[in-house]
Amino acid sequence: MPITIHPPKPPRPLISDNLPSDDSDSDSDTSIGGVDLGLPPKKRLTQFTSSPYTGIVTPGEIITPDPQWMRGHGTYIPPQTTDITSSLAGTITRTNKLISVRPLRARYTPEVGDLVVGRIVEVQAKRWRVDVGSTQLASLPLSAINLPGGILRKRTETDELQIRTFFAEGDLLVAEVQQLFQDGGAVLHTRSLKYGKLRNGAFVAVSGMGGGGGVVRSRRQAWTMEGANGAGQIDVCLGVNGYVWISKHVETPAELEGGGKTAAGITNMEENVSATMYSSQNDKVDTETMREIARLRGVITALVENGLRVDEEMLNRGYHEAVEMAMVDWNGPDDIYLGGERGEMLAAALTGK
Amino acid sequence: MPLDTSTYSLALLRVDGRRWNELRRLHAQIRTQAAADGSSYLEMGHTKVMCVVTGPSEPGPRRGGGIGGGAGGQSKDAEVVVNIVIAGFSSVDRKRRGRGDKRTQEMQSTVANALAASLHTHLFPHSQINVSLHVLSQDGSLLAALINAATLACVDAGIPMTDYVAACTAGSTSTYAANDESADPLLDLNHQEEQELPSLTVATLGDSDRVVVLVCESRVQISRLEGMLAVGVDGCKQVRELLDRVVREKGQRMILEGTVEKGTGLNDLD
Repeated sequence: MPITIHPPKPPRPLISDNLPSDDSDSDSDTSIGGVDLGLPPKKRLTQFTSSPYTGIVTPGEIITPDPQWMRGHGTYIPPQTTDITSSLAGTITRTNKLISVRPLRARYTPEVGDLVVGRIVEVQAKRWRVDVGSTQLASLPLSAINLPGGILRKRTETDELQIRTFFAEGDLLVAEVQQLFQDGGAVLHTRSLKYGKLRNGAFVAVSGMGGGGGVVRSRRQAWTMEGANGAGQIDVCLGVNGYVWISKHVETPAELEGGGKTAAGITNMEENVSATMYSSQNDKVDTETMREIARLRGVITALVENGLRVDEEMLNRGYHEAVEMAMVDWNGPDDIYLGGERGEMLAAALTGK
Repeated sequence: MPLDTSTYSLALLRVDGRRWNELRRLHAQIRTQAAADGSSYLEMGHTKVMCVVTGPSEPGPRRGGGIGGGAGGQSKDAEVVVNIVIAGFSSVDRKRRGRGDKRTQEMQSTVANALAASLHTHLFPHSQINVSLHVLSQDGSLLAALINAATLACVDAGIPMTDYVAACTAGSTSTYAANDESADPLLDLNHQEEQELPSLTVATLGDSDRVVVLVCESRVQISRLEGMLAVGVDGCKQVRELLDRVVREKGQRMILEGTVEKGTGLNDLD
C-alpha cells in the first residue's frame, strides 16, 4: 500500500476562502515544477477580483490604477506608476475623489479641536510635554493654561520659575488640541474652565481612534451622570485619544452660586480660577461614589474587550445594564467586577443578541 | 550528528517527508496582546516566534542593546529598534545567550534594516518604532520567522508600509564538499537540514522580485546559488500570500463583529 503523507491542516478559516492564489499546501504532483521565473508579478486589483474579503485592503494591494483618483492617508503611489496602492490593512474610505485607507488599528492622530486626556511626562522651561497616546508627545505651553488670579493675566517670569506648581510629572489633565505641527506634533491648551488638572477619580486607557472599538469622536465627550446606589454625580471625560477619566462631580464655584448669575462670563472668571485649580489633593470621595466609579470603569473595559465602541450612549446604557445585573445576582462586593463572563453578558445585553 | 542526506535521492522526500519545494506548516495570528500597539505570533514548522510592536512613539531615554535601522531619534524619519530575546528553552540544548550575543545582534540589525526598507518611516519624524521579538522554539529558518512575525506585528500596529516583507530559507541537497552536480534546491529548511546543508535566508518585498534581505552563512557552490535564490524568492511569495490571508481573516472578522465600519468598495464609486 502506498504511503501518503498529508500536510497538517491549518485551522479552519472563518470565511470560506476561494482566494485566487495557488494553494501552497497542495500535495499534488503537478506543482513539482515549482518555480516559475520570468513571469511578471500578478497584479492584485480590488476593483476587478472577486475577493471574498470585501472592503479590506492590505499593504501592497493596488486599490486602483486609475489616475482620476487622489491619494489620501494610508496609500502611496509606487514610483513610475499611477497605481494607488494601500500601505495599511484597513477599509477604504472615499471623500469625493480622495481615496484613503482607514487602518484596522493605529495610534491616535491628533486633530485640531479634539478633547484629549493626557499625562505630563516632562517639564521644560516654558512648556510641558504631555503623553496623549499619539506618535509624539504633545506640548502644552505655559502661555496656554489658565494662570491663577485672572485668566487674562500675562505670563510672568515668576510663573516660569514655579512651573511645577501648576503641573508636575505624572499629573493628569484634560485639554484641547489647539494647533498641529507639520510633522504631526500637537499643541494643547487648557484655556477654559472645562479643562485643567484632573482629580477625584480613576483613569482608564482604551484604544483611541483608528478602529478596533474604543472612543469615537462624538458630539459630547464629557458629561455628568447620576450614580446609582446612593452615589453622587459622576463626571465622565472620554478623551478622543482613548484616555478616559471618571471622577466625582465637583460643583464649580459658578454652579454653587446657583442660577443667580447667568453663565460664568469672562468677567467673573477671575475669581473662579482659584488656587485650588492646580491642587493635587483629592477631595473626600464617599465609598458609594467610589464603587460606582469603579463600576463605570468596568463597563468601559468590558465594552473595549468585546469590541464595542465607547461613547455617551453606549456608556449610559452599559452602566444601567451593569447596575441591573448587579441587582439581579447579588454576590457581595464582587458585583463591580465586569471582566470575563460578566463582561460578555453585558456586551450581549447591549448588542441585543 | 550528521544527517543522512543520501536518502533524498531515493524517494525525493526530505527528512520530514516534504518535497523540495514545500513549505512547512505556517500558522500565524495577529493581535495576540490587546495592550500592545501591534502583536503577532508565528509558527513555521516548529519554529515559534512572538512579536510585540510599540510605537511609533516618542523615543525614550537612550539605552544600549537595540540596533537602529534608521538614523538618530531626532531625525526626520522614525527609527526602527529591534530587540530579540531567545528563550533558554527554545532549542534542544539549553544555551544561555546574553544581551550582547553577536548572533542575536546581527539578527536584530538585519530585521531592523529589512523593516526600515518597507515601513514608511518618513511619516513619523522624531519617533521610534520598537519591535520586540521573542523566540519560543527553534527549528531552523529562525531569521525568516522573525522577519515574518515582525511584518505581521507592524501591519497590526497600523504602521504604513510599502508591502509585506516575507522571508524564507532555501538550501541545496548536497554539501559544498560533495561536489554533486545534480543537487536540487530545497525550500524552507528545518534545523536538521540547516545543520548539514548549505542554506540562505531571503526576504522579498511583497510579491515583487525585490530582495530586501539575503543572508548566506555557509559555503555553497556558485552554480547552485541561482537555483537556491529562485526557490527562495518563490517561497517568499507563498509566505506573503499566507501572511496576507491571516490579516484579511482578522479584518473580515472585525467587520463581521462590527468593530470596524465597512469601507466603500471602489465598485460603488461614481
